[in-house]
Amino acid sequence: MPEKKHKVLVANRGEIAMRIVQACQKLGLPSVCVYTKEDAHSGHVALARSIGGEDAVYRISSYHDANELLSVADHAGATAVHPGYGFFAEDYRFARRVSERSNPLVFIGPSWRIIRSLGDKINTKRLARSLNVPTVPGSDRPVYDEIEAEEIAETLFAFQAEQGIEHSVVLVKASAGGGGMGIEEIHDLDQFKTVYRRIRNYAKRQFHDEGVLIEQRIFDFNHLEVQVVADRTGKSIAHFGTRNCSVQSTGRQKRIEVAPGFRPQEVHYAFDASKVLKDIVSYSLRMAEEVGYDNVGTWEWIVSPMGQPFLMEVNTRIQVENGVSAAISRIKGQGGVDLIREQIRLALGEPMGYTQEDITFEGVGIEYRIIAEDPANKFTPWVGRIDAFEAPVNDWTSTHTQIPQGEPYVIPTEFDPNLALAIIWGKDLAQAKQRGMEFLDKLILSGQDQTGDSLRSNVRFLKEKTVTLLQF
Amino acid sequence: MIDVKTILEEIKAAPYEEIEITAPHTGVINFEITTPGVKVAGSSGTYREKPGTLLAAITREHNAKPIHASVNGEVSHIRSDLDGKFVEAGEPLMVVRHFLTKDEVVEAILQKVLFLFTAPERAKYYFIPSADKKIKASGCRSVTVKPGMELFIVSRMKREKPLNYEGPEGIIYAVYFDHDQNVDMGGPLIGVCPEDQTGVIQDVINRVQSDWEERS
Repeated sequence: MPEKKHKVLVANRGEIAMRIVQACQKLGLPSVCVYTKEDAHSGHVALARSIGGEDAVYRISSYHDANELLSVADHAGATAVHPGYGFFAEDYRFARRVSERSNPLVFIGPSWRIIRSLGDKINTKRLARSLNVPTVPGSDRPVYDEIEAEEIAETLFAFQAEQGIEHSVVLVKASAGGGGMGIEEIHDLDQFKTVYRRIRNYAKRQFHDEGVLIEQRIFDFNHLEVQVVADRTGKSIAHFGTRNCSVQSTGRQKRIEVAPGFRPQEVHYAFDASKVLKDIVSYSLRMAEEVGYDNVGTWEWIVSPMGQPFLMEVNTRIQVENGVSAAISRIKGQGGVDLIREQIRLALGEPMGYTQEDITFEGVGIEYRIIAEDPANKFTPWVGRIDAFEAPVNDWTSTHTQIPQGEPYVIPTEFDPNLALAIIWGKDLAQAKQRGMEFLDKLILSGQDQTGDSLRSNVRFLKEKTVTLLQF
Repeated sequence: MIDVKTILEEIKAAPYEEIEITAPHTGVINFEITTPGVKVAGSSGTYREKPGTLLAAITREHNAKPIHASVNGEVSHIRSDLDGKFVEAGEPLMVVRHFLTKDEVVEAILQKVLFLFTAPERAKYYFIPSADKKIKASGCRSVTVKPGMELFIVSRMKREKPLNYEGPEGIIYAVYFDHDQNVDMGGPLIGVCPEDQTGVIQDVINRVQSDWEERS
């Protein structure tokens, strides 16, 4: 580690906060966590307390209050801030403030200029096009004008027709939304105005912002990602492979991620899948090198049924699904890769210490997002008390959850009802799927809501989708 | 039939509310009022635009946020030991004893007279756009509700679904929820006055106006 002894403020909650604390532990760094009153019983609070005592946890009013987070950082003597994902993770103003205030801290993520540059979707597309990287059409920013929105929708229908999509679908989406809320599909332009106005009103009510995005619905596409890692110099850049995130809820929230993105050794594709993976990696690295990317990031792609990739966006942060890439990665032949640890280490100024040639891949990883929701009812979130959560323990599984062990846990209504992430490894796709099914079969999960009804979860949905993983 | 006189006697026995002031944020707290017994004024003005007595200020990241009294009353307890210290959000700072006004007494009694339509689950509640528009333009008493009519939008984790009113037909006499605030399961959303109860309501108001003596 660098000479300066760092202390990390974890500006997030739940499972990701726990993984950051654990990564800090691996690096020998102290950390401090924050929590709101709704999260008082979350596992991240208990974990931080068990490691650092009462001084390692601070109650705050909101995870969205930068003033509070930074005052906690100062009071706790933190020297770095890890934003996790969501909240401030891709907010370049926050990143700039953290690193340029009178008591500057290290922002554990890309530098604010990179976040600003790639967070602007118009800018990203312009950069991509200048490097001959194919991009997907759609609104690059929130649209407030109905006529402009309709024109974009028209372009998207035309694009899907060109791609041979028989039943074209376009999404109308609240720009300030997230997590799949405030999204509706339209199948032809005649529906557009009604849906657009409904979403605009919803967005105003929920987010106080009428901005709407018009996007592709990727029914017949696959959703792939490339995991990029770079050190602070922006010159040492490597990739940790690809992921396939095509199993999603109706609201486009990811539910299963698989690494690598395709598996031509075991699954037949109508196109050269190896070439597609190679191409998207190459395009992603080309862009990362051009901007001097300097931490972890994800390049998100859609691949058409004809095997054509199109860049959707760049996520300048650690992803939920980072662990599935780590599960199949080896550095200099060694397993136990932790991309959050790499992210922290590199953000604090350490050199990468390996090159692309040192990174190899072994087997197949599957990540399940176990969520309290009702897939049969448009994935409606379920809220109640979790009475039992017990994940099977194997040397091929890792489970991350904020549910405290041995005591009931009430899901806070203020956040999404994500319960756990389970990462399964197999020597090939067949074994990974078989182990995945075994894990889901043995998972113990029960609870009750306020009216006495039993917990609803997506476990059955995950099992059903496991059967056809990576098929396209 | 409700016995207004008895209820009034009960309220008169303890005619105040103890309001706990907590730290709205994490930060360094500095008290402006340092001794118990000081009388404070709540916010005032037509739109409650004039802030109440300054009780304390909490500073985080060089931003001092004033904490004003929201109601009239008397400071009954102060955590002086916290003065100048770093406190966490939600930390109790002081207690203000607030003596009930006539309007508040009427409100308390009405909760016993009106039909209360309650929240079926913890969530945020909104009126459907047509009712919302009417309430904003002419007040809640301009809306008549009937059993089975769609009245609310229930929002939980940013998912929305409609909620129908169930209860006696009548006018919405009181609204008990705030915009963008969660209501716990069982918490009252609206108080509905069936037509045959309007006389009782008027009696409550008259009785409180004549019997209740406000204290500052």
